[in-house]
Amino acid sequence: MDLSHTQRDALRELGNIGAAHAATTLSTMLMSNIEMDVPEIHLIDISKVYEHVGDEIAALVLFQITGEVSGGGYVLLHIPKNSVIRLTNAMLGMTDLDRDLTEMDESALLEIGNIMVSAFLDATAGLLDVIMLPSPPSLIVDMPHAAFQSIITAQDAFDINEVVLFRTELKSDQHKITSNLFLLPNPPMLTDILEMLDKLLTP
Amino acid sequence: MEKNQNDWNQVVIVGIGDHAVGPGPMSSIGLGSCVGLVIHDSEKCIGGLAHVMLPDSGGRTERPGKFADTAIDALVTILVGQGCRKTALVAKMVGGAAMFKTLSENLNIGERNITAIKENLKQKNIPIKAECVGGSVGRTLTYYPSDGGKVVIKLADGKKNEI
Repeated sequence: MDLSHTQRDALRELGNIGAAHAATTLSTMLMSNIEMDVPEIHLIDISKVYEHVGDEIAALVLFQITGEVSGGGYVLLHIPKNSVIRLTNAMLGMTDLDRDLTEMDESALLEIGNIMVSAFLDATAGLLDVIMLPSPPSLIVDMPHAAFQSIITAQDAFDINEVVLFRTELKSDQHKITSNLFLLPNPPMLTDILEMLDKLLTP
Repeated sequence: MEKNQNDWNQVVIVGIGDHAVGPGPMSSIGLGSCVGLVIHDSEKCIGGLAHVMLPDSGGRTERPGKFADTAIDALVTILVGQGCRKTALVAKMVGGAAMFKTLSENLNIGERNITAIKENLKQKNIPIKAECVGGSVGRTLTYYPSDGGKVVIKLADGKKNEI
């Protein structure tokens, strides 16, 4: 598999539009500015995933993509544990930072995840002129590498030796919250998206 | 890709589908449904680690570390090639969890990895000395061949245990 410069640019732009919409929803919920980085796109060997995703504890909210795209794929919202506590605190007006995650944090994460990921997929699908819907979310608080590894394996992984890592960072400097949105398309879905983007770019 | 771990001071990271052999420390980070398989020579204090992703190679020969059957073959072949006696080999395994309920419902790859490794080890008469498998948590393992084959397991919340 290989991605050309044009394909990378097109994917980055697609990610930009999706993430901008997700950032707006987060900004509304937190009533604060959200800073967004240019999406990163890496084509990496499965044996090197650990160089990009570690084992530091984080909340991981997983959505499966369904709708008018072949194969489907996943969107994963990744928020480090400390940021989760600051996020819930900011939403509920609390201040205690030295605490464990509770059901309250979990409800907040599922809610925020739903809103952000729906906005992300709506905007992405709108640009491609297809329908993409998120499945109900599945939340764990664990190691990001273990989550990625399980998601890659759950695809038809026999001949998968490379994956596309598609990441956008969303931050609130005011509340010291960082979060990452990962788009993990299955190979058929990636091919679909690239074809749709090609059509869009051809006058 | 096969790695040789002869550096005693630095931990070699064995990524998804990789394997490594030697006397120095080796680690697999963030095992979910994958299984970190250690085959240790208790006499020579060397051994190997494979980061197994799937239960069966179906005849594939590249990336032997990726599949349970080929990973065991590869580690045993290299260790025997380095002068280990087959009867001195013991195994330890870590991982094989079901992280997300939505992913594991019909697949259960973690469990299938564990079963496949057990069957393949049995065929080769390699005893399993210790294991920390299943459940729904991610694990990081570090294996110290020269320290009696000690395996340290770390969980996301920082808790550690040794097998």
